[in-house]
Amino acid sequence: MTEQQLSTVEAELYDRQIRLWGIKSQERLRAANILLIGVRGLGSEIAKNIMLSGINSLVILDDGEVTEEEPQTNFLINQDSIGMKIADAVLVKAQALNPLVKVSADTSDLATKDPKFFEGFTMIIATRIKTDLLMKIDKVCRANNVKLIFGDVFGSFGYSVSDFQEHDYYEDQLRLVSKKRVLDATETKPEKETVNVKGQIVYPELNKVLILPNTKQSVDHIKKVKRRNEYFFLMLILLEFRNRQNRNPDIEHKEKDIALLQDIKIAVLDLYGFDHNKLNDVLFELVFGEVVPVCAVLGGVIAQEVIKAVSQKEVPINNVFLFDPVTFCGKEETVA
Amino acid sequence: MAAVAHSVPYSIDARARDLIPKSKVLLVGAGGIGCEVLKNLALSGFRDIEIIDLDTIDVSNLNRQFLFRKEHVGKPKAVVARESILAHNPNVKIKAYHDSILSSDYGLNFFKRFNLVLNALDNRTARNHVNRMCLAADIPLIESGTSGYSGQVELIKKGATQCYECQPKPPQKTFPGCTIRNTPSEPVHCIVWSKHLFNQLFGEDDPDQDVSPDAEDPEAKINGENSVTESGNIKRLSTKQWTQDIEYDPEKLFNKFFSEDINYLLSMENLWKTRTPPKPLSWKDAAALVGDKTKKDENSVRVRDMEVWSIAKCAQVFADSVTTLKKEHANKDFLVWDKDDQPAMDFVAACANIRAYIFSIAQKSKFEIKSIAGNIIPAIATANAMIAGLVVLYAFRLLVEDYEKCPSIYLRQKSVHSKFILAADKQLTKANPVCYVCSPKPFVNVFVNVDKMTVKEFESEVLKNHLNMVAPDVVLDGKGVMVISSEEGETEVNNDKALSQLSIVDGSILKCDDFLQNYELTVAVNQYVPVEKDDPLFKVVANPEELKAKETQNGKENGATSSKDAESDEDDLMVVDEVAEDPQEGSSSKRRKLNNDSDDEDIVEVPL
Repeated sequence: MTEQQLSTVEAELYDRQIRLWGIKSQERLRAANILLIGVRGLGSEIAKNIMLSGINSLVILDDGEVTEEEPQTNFLINQDSIGMKIADAVLVKAQALNPLVKVSADTSDLATKDPKFFEGFTMIIATRIKTDLLMKIDKVCRANNVKLIFGDVFGSFGYSVSDFQEHDYYEDQLRLVSKKRVLDATETKPEKETVNVKGQIVYPELNKVLILPNTKQSVDHIKKVKRRNEYFFLMLILLEFRNRQNRNPDIEHKEKDIALLQDIKIAVLDLYGFDHNKLNDVLFELVFGEVVPVCAVLGGVIAQEVIKAVSQKEVPINNVFLFDPVTFCGKEETVA
Repeated sequence: MAAVAHSVPYSIDARARDLIPKSKVLLVGAGGIGCEVLKNLALSGFRDIEIIDLDTIDVSNLNRQFLFRKEHVGKPKAVVARESILAHNPNVKIKAYHDSILSSDYGLNFFKRFNLVLNALDNRTARNHVNRMCLAADIPLIESGTSGYSGQVELIKKGATQCYECQPKPPQKTFPGCTIRNTPSEPVHCIVWSKHLFNQLFGEDDPDQDVSPDAEDPEAKINGENSVTESGNIKRLSTKQWTQDIEYDPEKLFNKFFSEDINYLLSMENLWKTRTPPKPLSWKDAAALVGDKTKKDENSVRVRDMEVWSIAKCAQVFADSVTTLKKEHANKDFLVWDKDDQPAMDFVAACANIRAYIFSIAQKSKFEIKSIAGNIIPAIATANAMIAGLVVLYAFRLLVEDYEKCPSIYLRQKSVHSKFILAADKQLTKANPVCYVCSPKPFVNVFVNVDKMTVKEFESEVLKNHLNMVAPDVVLDGKGVMVISSEEGETEVNNDKALSQLSIVDGSILKCDDFLQNYELTVAVNQYVPVEKDDPLFKVVANPEELKAKETQNGKENGATSSKDAESDEDDLMVVDEVAEDPQEGSSSKRRKLNNDSDDEDIVEVPL
């Protein structure tokens, strides 16, 4: 993919962000071709933010249909599109966010996709998928140098998990420098200088990060870290729930679903030898639906990681981000 | 209606779920954060929202203010934001005001109608005002801001937290006049000088923006005598008059400002004992400084805006922009400098770099100069989205008065060392007991020269600009004399009198009352005479002890954060360094503000 120089129109439109991340980053963004899997509450927030950032193209893949509820919580879907395929329904509003980005819809079932489909992208963003499919995609991504980020919102809780493989990045750091020559005798303040520092992060593959019960995989490398964030396990419990039920927890079956989550909690925490009291069951009350402002927070975090991955500017999250549904803090957790 | 129930989220406080559809929310600002907050409110089941913004839409907003599109450029933000949400969901009741929140139309009774007020503002004046209105109306306020990758959300609730004005904010950065006129040492000094030059040639006359060498510079004096024999500044007819007499001849202008004036500066020998002396540059010599001659694509953004121009190119751009601006000026009394007006921006970029070259200061690209000259704060969609998400999550909690669960949250740029990307304080920050806004009996000391400062200056500089009153009434305590009235025609006769002429002297007490803000402030007057030429014209201090101990503030609960105030999201005043001794100083007429433009600009503090 060639990085073409920006036009005057683009320079004007993206002015406020070019002043933050520089023109080189903007040129890299504008060469990026992105696949977004899932465009519900969280997906629509991610789509908005990366469309606005000025990538080259976005493919939105979702095989679901618009229900009556969807337009109420998804600003890319109008009420007159009930019954349509969701990916088709979001196209018009997604395109309106930025006419310079090529955006298209794919309504096919992700499970039926040929591995070749994934190879052509710069980066893939996956939401609402089961872990077996995620691991398959990660493998293809690794073989083809495609970066991957995975994330979800469950109620007030949310997370992201990145696999940027061997990721090189540049970071601007402020350093104090001593003045070389005295221009002004009255000036005593040390001068600051911005230096461009290069760094690298090597990411583990996702099957070393997301290990669920009954997979016979060793978790020793994850157990090594003493004070593991409890929300890491909440994430695993919810992923196991989705794997088993082929859906997210649903308010219609609240009691039944909470009971299942409690069962899964025992299996997950036993696997990791994590104290059961440190993960309060009250949290399970907070995982239903997709709370829109939480989607906004996670959609911001994930889109920012996409921008970092593509532009190679600034330090990305290594490798898990966990949003606390009680304090609203967001913390990086390095796993594996 | 069943449909409404769908949109109120599960997984939040059950009492809040009931209250959301019944609550009335005021959103102040429809910019980067405002658009995001409005969407979050509407999609979370809020059904009664009012939004106010005085701004119109600009192309550079479209990278983040997602409710707006290209065809909306020039239209009022509040109105388009409302239409955009209604097109998605006509069941929400939204009232839009294309207006300033500072207007007296939005008094106490207006604010009292709301359950919550959410600020999504870009300037300190409006933030201060809404702070006072919410304190007076006793309505919880969520304050928010972003700057680049960083941001902040903060609850302000009377009796529970500090207010927006509890901690003094660093003032706008100013530069000593002689640094700008005589001894620039940083690119920003040359940029400020160039903006002043623009105003001298094309703008409204402002004696504080003189660009000629300043012979009164105390550093230039030898044993108290001027080293240059002429008295005062170089005698010229007004710069503008002279410029018109020579018909804006670019070569003559160039030689005047970049050669003759520099030669004059060189004659002030004391200035150059410890500094690198400037090198005068004539029009003819400049043409020879062509730099890298390789052929470049002049249409590329990189070449035109991102690279540092050669001095020959600067000279050419100077001449071209002067010619264009001369034509524009012919039809108007004066031009107003605007970073988005190409010839005006070209003129400043060219002049700043020529002056930088003369003083051996690093030259900058037009792109960089625009950032500094236009005080542009970078802004991105993702940071705004995160902050706006947190604002509405806190809004849910405030409906059920869960104030304790709403400590300030900071969004920090990820670095190798930080694990917290969103970090909350451990607890609410308590109010400053001597805050001149939210304490029970607001009180400040004002240090001012009562024989020099006029009543009008006191009103505009001290009470309005510094203490953020909108329409003060002032009574001299003990005598019951009305000194300033917010009613027209009552006290104008006092305007040009010095304070002492109205018996306002050292030790006087003034009762200042802003009816709109429902705010009464007691001001103790202290006589103070600026000594050094760069001393502030006046000082405002809640507690005189503050004059000494300034550094001890700013401690935060978890030590996690460095900056107190976050930042605006729009085209704002530039970020400034920590200010030397007097965070409360007023703007002295002898200091050069980086920007003394209008109110769409803002003072912003950013972590250093």
